[in-house]
Amino acid sequence: MSNASRLSGRGLVKTFGSTTALAGVDVDLANGESLAVMGPSGSGKSTLLHCLAGILVPDAGSVQLEGRDVGALGDRDRSLLRRTHYGFVFQFGQLLSELPAVENVALPAMLLGASRRDATASAMRWLGSLGLAGMEGRRPGELSGGQAQRVAVARALITGPSVVFADEPTGALDQSTGHDVMRILVETTRAAGASLVVVTHEPKVADWCDRRIEVRDGRVVGSAVRR
Amino acid sequence: MNPVVALAPRFQRAGGRDSRVTTALAITAFTVATGLTLCVVGGLLGFITRAKEPVAPGTSDVRDLYVILAVIALVLLAVPLVTLGGSAARLGVARRDARLATLRLLGVTSREVVALTLVETAWQGAVGAVLGIVLYGLLLPVVGLLPFQGTTFTVAELWVGWPGLLAAIVVVPLLAAVSGAISLRRVAISPLGVARRTTPRGMGFARLLVALVAIAMFMGVSAEADALGAFAVGAVVATLAIGFATLNLVGPWVLALVGKVSLRRATTPARLLTARRLLDDPRAAWRVVGGLGLACFVAGALTVVPVLWTVRGTQDRDDAMLTQDLMTGAMVTLVVAFLLAAVSAGIAQASAVLDRRREIALQNLAGMPVELLDSVRRRSVLVPLLFVAVGSAVTALVMLLPLLGILVFTDPSGVVVLVGALTVGCLLVFAATETSRPLLRSVLADTVVRAD
Repeated sequence: MSNASRLSGRGLVKTFGSTTALAGVDVDLANGESLAVMGPSGSGKSTLLHCLAGILVPDAGSVQLEGRDVGALGDRDRSLLRRTHYGFVFQFGQLLSELPAVENVALPAMLLGASRRDATASAMRWLGSLGLAGMEGRRPGELSGGQAQRVAVARALITGPSVVFADEPTGALDQSTGHDVMRILVETTRAAGASLVVVTHEPKVADWCDRRIEVRDGRVVGSAVRR
Repeated sequence: MNPVVALAPRFQRAGGRDSRVTTALAITAFTVATGLTLCVVGGLLGFITRAKEPVAPGTSDVRDLYVILAVIALVLLAVPLVTLGGSAARLGVARRDARLATLRLLGVTSREVVALTLVETAWQGAVGAVLGIVLYGLLLPVVGLLPFQGTTFTVAELWVGWPGLLAAIVVVPLLAAVSGAISLRRVAISPLGVARRTTPRGMGFARLLVALVAIAMFMGVSAEADALGAFAVGAVVATLAIGFATLNLVGPWVLALVGKVSLRRATTPARLLTARRLLDDPRAAWRVVGGLGLACFVAGALTVVPVLWTVRGTQDRDDAMLTQDLMTGAMVTLVVAFLLAAVSAGIAQASAVLDRRREIALQNLAGMPVELLDSVRRRSVLVPLLFVAVGSAVTALVMLLPLLGILVFTDPSGVVVLVGALTVGCLLVFAATETSRPLLRSVLADTVVRAD
């Protein structure tokens, strides 16, 4: 793992009406590093993920991706940045219900200009490497929760992103399936050379990551490195 | 009252902005359907009154013909009217299904789930019926301006009477409730039924066969109309109605076929998503453009009018009035059909955006450009729209071939009217669906981001 900072947030502040979700957060993510953002409901951990990912613009502070100021980008450019540099795994619902697994995975590659044939071939390889060979033609409704999340992991990684953001990726899964999904998420992200940010409130999920930070009331109140 | 059913008003209030928008759309649809139905029925009653008490000399031999033509117009408009009502009852069905599936998981019985839906949709239908009566009242003076048989209608001639209004208040909520209950079958069967969307089953070829048989029946009856004597008019109208209704059956099948072909040829994300969406739920696509398909069928059927005008050649005063009235009636029928189609399409498209809001929002968060989402939304209407418009009009022309004969080819005036009507109709429906563009933007702007 390199020590160079790939993604960093400095003095991040975000409020929603009278609620302060982030009250001055500093965070760094090194190349290839996996970081767990922990905290109870309402602590501000998802807001932090959304600010780092360029989904939300912080009211104060800055986010830098490989030296580039994400906050200075307009809405369209941030959308482009998410498409080209980031991958996302949500708790559920990010797969398009009418597309079979292979097309769900191929779509981000097609959005970046790959031909349908090449994108499909790449998606088939990703699905095969994640143990989903033979399920390429199944639609999200025909997959188990764990299988659907593995498709989501393949979808997040097919474009070769710098950073993968996972928001409660195992929140809708049982413990055993969640364990499998986290193993696959961490291992494949690392193998792809991408960094990983996982938002979770479960210590066992955070155990998979190189480092964890604890967020409470919009502030980082603790951090730990995996031994 | 059953405690679950008693929850209906609370669900309505707790639904937030989406619930208010879908309720408003549903009530609008019921209002338009009720108002226009009453106007069309009023027109029919007007002609019946005039058949008994002629308003102009020399019209006695064609008085009954006016009534028959008004019945045909009613038949042609009945399916788009019912389609619009059905679309209204299905509004927000995904959101409602998810909520009702949760109730089923909590132990609410299938019967209570159905009752809850009946209360919701019947209430919307009842409000729509009352507002539709108001709309009818507002339209009466406008409809009265249309000249038929040499004079305009009086409000009294177009008045459906108190029993007619009462019937609207009873029938519209009833039909709404039935449509709503039918759309709920999946939830009623299984609480998990709506949570798992699976590969759709292909549609049977039988649909096409039924439509072909219906069309053949109409062509056969109209070709042999003379032999049927006194039953000729009734038989022609009945088989026309059956042929028309089968469009609703064959329409989704054709759209699924279009989806399959488009999927094979899709090279861009927008085309891929459009084709998959079409193939995934061709019935939903038909709900958006089906109204136009039915209107185009009407347009195709009405190409007969200018041709008849030509056939009659030199005309006396009565003939000239009849052909003029035929033209007016044809245009009124067409305008109403296109208006119904536009309202149906606009409402169905808005409903589709709201039903998929979470999915749309997450795709956008993950970097899918708004332009692509917009392009898919637009293509999802345009692709089936063009196929349906042209297909329906051609079907109508084929069906009417025995009546029109060689004139279809020798006198192009009917075809000119048809092409003009199709163009205007497609533009109108397209404009109606574009009203969902700001809704899509607002759904994306209002993305639910968990602030924890």
